[in-house]
Amino acid sequence: MLELSGVTKKFGSRAAVSGVSLAIGDGEFVVLLGPSGCGKTTLMRMIAGLESPDEGSIRLGGEEITGRDPRDRDIAMVFQSYALYPHMTIAQNIGYPLRVRKRAQREIEAEVKHVAARLGLTPLLGNFPRQLSGGERQRVALARAIIRRPKAFLMDEPLSNLDARLRVEMRAELKHLQHELRIVTIYVTHDQAEAMTLAHRIAVMREGKIQQYDTPANVYHKPVNTFVAQFVGSPSMNLIAKGGETLGVRPEDVELSPAARPDFSPARVYVSEEMGNETIVVISDGATQITARAPAGIRLDFDAEVWYRFRTGKIHRFDASGKRLDD
Amino acid sequence: MKIFRYGAAVIAVVIALAPVYWLVTISLKREVDQFAYPPQWIGFTTTLAHYREAFAGGSFAAYFENSVFLAAISTVAALLAGVPAAYGLARFEWPRKWDERIGDWILSTRMLPPIVTIVPLFLMLREARLLNSLSGLAIVYTGFNLPFVVWMMRGFFEEVPREIEEAAMLDGESRMGALLRIVLPLVKPGLAATAVFCLVVAWNEFLFALILTETDAAMTLPVGIASHVTQYEIQWGVMSAAGVVAMIPVLIFAAAAQKYLVRGLSLGAVKG
Repeated sequence: MLELSGVTKKFGSRAAVSGVSLAIGDGEFVVLLGPSGCGKTTLMRMIAGLESPDEGSIRLGGEEITGRDPRDRDIAMVFQSYALYPHMTIAQNIGYPLRVRKRAQREIEAEVKHVAARLGLTPLLGNFPRQLSGGERQRVALARAIIRRPKAFLMDEPLSNLDARLRVEMRAELKHLQHELRIVTIYVTHDQAEAMTLAHRIAVMREGKIQQYDTPANVYHKPVNTFVAQFVGSPSMNLIAKGGETLGVRPEDVELSPAARPDFSPARVYVSEEMGNETIVVISDGATQITARAPAGIRLDFDAEVWYRFRTGKIHRFDASGKRLDD
Repeated sequence: MKIFRYGAAVIAVVIALAPVYWLVTISLKREVDQFAYPPQWIGFTTTLAHYREAFAGGSFAAYFENSVFLAAISTVAALLAGVPAAYGLARFEWPRKWDERIGDWILSTRMLPPIVTIVPLFLMLREARLLNSLSGLAIVYTGFNLPFVVWMMRGFFEEVPREIEEAAMLDGESRMGALLRIVLPLVKPGLAATAVFCLVVAWNEFLFALILTETDAAMTLPVGIASHVTQYEIQWGVMSAAGVVAMIPVLIFAAAAQKYLVRGLSLGAVKG
């Protein structure tokens, strides 16, 4: 159980994090999601003890840890750059947290072997970090974090330095690992796909404040404001100004038709992007552009005429300030 | 093209080493041969008399000891004080940019010509009764090397990613533990390069040693050698013999630290 209440951090006069309160349950996987500069990394560093909050408190497992040194918090962290120790072998890197804690040599060796086998690192134990690929370094960083079974894991964009295929692979592995270990995990990313797939709950942040803290499904289907609506989902939700309100429609809720049908409005194809498994079509009705998801194989030329409508019951409404209006 | 390059290298080496070779030959020549015309580059009668005269019972043994002691103690002291200072400046942000200001101020102490500090130093050492003493000179050399250590090591510390240190602290180290067990091993090449530099500066220093010492108790090799230029004669043979011996410790140290020196001086040029 990790609880933040009223956590605030200022750099000069600018508040990087302001008044953040979050409660994270045992074994929960929470993703802090937001654009760069939204304060998500600063928030994580305060949980780690690498920055100290100006206001507010942090409690882990019922204990107040706000003012403690990083080493007295029993929290492990995986860094974006992996931060392996370049002058130590992989085995020494993985065993380091136990060696600092003065555990018996034989016990350390056994633990390192066990964790290395778990993450497929056994053949690399004698190597140095510089001899490893990005994906392998990533695993070593994970191994070093899990070896001492901390009270919480922090992960700062751990997959962002990997190539696209490896990232998806590691994402699945990470999710399964967390499921097995059942340790509170806080994961920082700006990639909404990672947030959607990994999290039990997502905390969407903007300008130092939490915008929405909810399950991926609710963040996707009931975004609290236009910022969340546009940040989550790819391609982004269409926002259309209408009267004093803003209407939001996800691309998959835009129906297209090549011929005129009742309830459908005319528009022209601006661009059509064949993705293989689907086609992303951007249409324009003169005033606004609307993005739609269409089946694969659909053929639409530039400027061709199409008809569209929004699927009933799938229209989100926001007021002038961007706040969700309840249906 | 290749020939041209090698040719240029050979010329450079010859220019650099010719004076050294000449020094060695003079130290081995009898006095009559020293300034024979035409000069005897090879095939002269050799003698070890000058070495015997310089070191067997002569003052040079004392100068040599003094120089070794001073170079070692001032290097160690400058590193002990300078490395933590450099780490502090590299890692902590001080309010109102004081880290930058202190850094600039430390560097500025190297900008004034050393000779302007001679008179105040002389007076201060006299008051402290440290004139003509090894401790006095050791303090001066330490102070002289300190800004250099701080600046060089600060650069090396800044090369070490903060995240590595933060990882160590989350793994259970205190900041001091992370510094000793993670950061210092990573800046070892930089430490070696800095130490060699300090040693060479202290070993070769002439001006301060000349003004602040007067007897064998504290005189160093450079001053000792120069003192053999007297009113009546210049003892070229003895001076050359002492000069040759004076080169040896620095050569040995530089050779031993060569592996680190190249890496230390080029650290940061290539990302590891």
